Amino acid sequence: MAVADFVKSAGESFRVGWKIESNWTDPVLFATYQVIRPLASLLIVAFIVIIGAAAGASQNPAFYTQYLAWLIVGNAFYAFVLQIMLGMAILVHVDRTRYEVLKNIYISPGTLHPYVIGRGLVSVVNGAVSVILTLLFSVAIFNGLLHMNIPLNLLNVNLLMLIPAVILGIISLLAIGYMLCAVNIVSNRMEFILGDSVSGIFFLLGGVIFPIALLPSYVQPISNVLPITYLLNAVRESFGLLPTASYVSDLAYLALTTLVTMIIGITVFRLAEQRAKKLGLFDRKSEY
Amino acid sequence: MLPKATPREELLTNLRAAYARMWVRLRGSNREITGLVAEIGLPILTIGAYVILYRAIGLPPTAGAAVIIGGAMIAFWTNVLWNMSSQWFWERESGNLEMYLVAPVSRMSVLLGMAMGGSVNTSIRALGIVLLGIFVFQVPFQLADPLSVGLVFVLTLVALYTMGMLFASIFMLYGREAWNTANLLQEPVYFLSGAYFPRIYAPVVPFAVQAAGSLIPMTIGLDAIRRLAINGESIATVWPHILALIACTLILFPLARRALNYMESLGKKEGRLTLRWQ
Repeated sequence: MAVADFVKSAGESFRVGWKIESNWTDPVLFATYQVIRPLASLLIVAFIVIIGAAAGASQNPAFYTQYLAWLIVGNAFYAFVLQIMLGMAILVHVDRTRYEVLKNIYISPGTLHPYVIGRGLVSVVNGAVSVILTLLFSVAIFNGLLHMNIPLNLLNVNLLMLIPAVILGIISLLAIGYMLCAVNIVSNRMEFILGDSVSGIFFLLGGVIFPIALLPSYVQPISNVLPITYLLNAVRESFGLLPTASYVSDLAYLALTTLVTMIIGITVFRLAEQRAKKLGLFDRKSEY
Repeated sequence: MLPKATPREELLTNLRAAYARMWVRLRGSNREITGLVAEIGLPILTIGAYVILYRAIGLPPTAGAAVIIGGAMIAFWTNVLWNMSSQWFWERESGNLEMYLVAPVSRMSVLLGMAMGGSVNTSIRALGIVLLGIFVFQVPFQLADPLSVGLVFVLTLVALYTMGMLFASIFMLYGREAWNTANLLQEPVYFLSGAYFPRIYAPVVPFAVQAAGSLIPMTIGLDAIRRLAINGESIATVWPHILALIACTLILFPLARRALNYMESLGKKEGRLTLRWQ
């Protein structure tokens, strides 16, 4: 399939996906919905740290403000994980069982691949909106409203460091989302738990709200092969929050894990596609 | 013309309908073992992250115990959202809603059945979460009065599922916003209820957050259960909680009934009760 056709099909899929996701309400309410969930998650962890500070658990007050900045950035960018995992995990189920169009998409000349990518990109846009709004609200709430002087300056972000990391991270997350779609093509029992499972694992092992060094030593090797770990490291470095870490090394590991994830994602998807065709699973109804 | 049913016959028919709906819920939710395992295992991932965060900032192990109870109670909230509030939406999407509406029973009996089935199912999962959490994270509990904990727990569930009945009525005519609204009511409620905090009613938590959280029965019940099961307090200290939970139920139940009748009548007028794929 020519690249131009692929891009065109993905673009059309994005357009359809965007309408499905956003046109049920007006843009302001839609943006509100996009930001409230990640903002509430952030407030949960932020208040835990504030409660810790009030209890005087650490003698060094600066520890809490630095930790909050670290946590805000990690939690904000985790929105990409949530949006992509939850969006792509449910995609096959919605199109196959609810709207009953998966078979039509499969037999169209465009094939499923650009369709899945296009729909995944909608989750990326939703994630980006969440990230930006969460960061802005965080600074407004913690520095503006609560006067906590958190060392987080959004104008000082190094975009040359941030953009490559985010692009690689998004590609790796789309590749994982691809795998989730593949699993759902051949299964009709996992659609409501897959997205939560994978995002839950990333939340625990990816260094979102605490450094992975605090995990038990036998779990840390798993964290070390997850792209999310390096994505969040590189992002925090671009915000100047990890002065002793090596950005280049984190970016290199992120690129490597992204490449491996892409290869596995495409392979798994192709295998699932072949199996689904053989067993006639593209038009399976599973709701009761 | 059919003879009019006596109140006793009417009550029996409605109780049978509630039992039937409960049976479907119990059977449907437990026939798939992967679902059961995931519903117990998944919350442990999030609970684990918060327990490690507590350790990272040097809070005592009792904070971990509070998170485990909070995580277990969140299972009920999730159930109320996705399996009570959104249920009429799902039923409409799958074409079953009209069958419920033409059945010669009260809609409230169907909702009652859903609530009973959901609360039994989720209690099994919540117990699994608490036991697994205690085993994995080795956090301390001080359970001096199990009967009081049981009483507060039951009152919390009754109030919470009554709120679910109210939401189910409101969600009845939703299209795609049902999905988005249910999503929206997750994390904000986790925050407002203090499910992942050691205590919501602490001086460091702003009064506005505490007040907003107190509108959710889970917040009140959770605080009472934590006091009884972690701090080892007696039932005498949680009387205000018990009264508040009873008040919630007494207020929410008639509201749910009125909302259900109103939404059904509105749906009939606007022809939206059988509308799919909005």
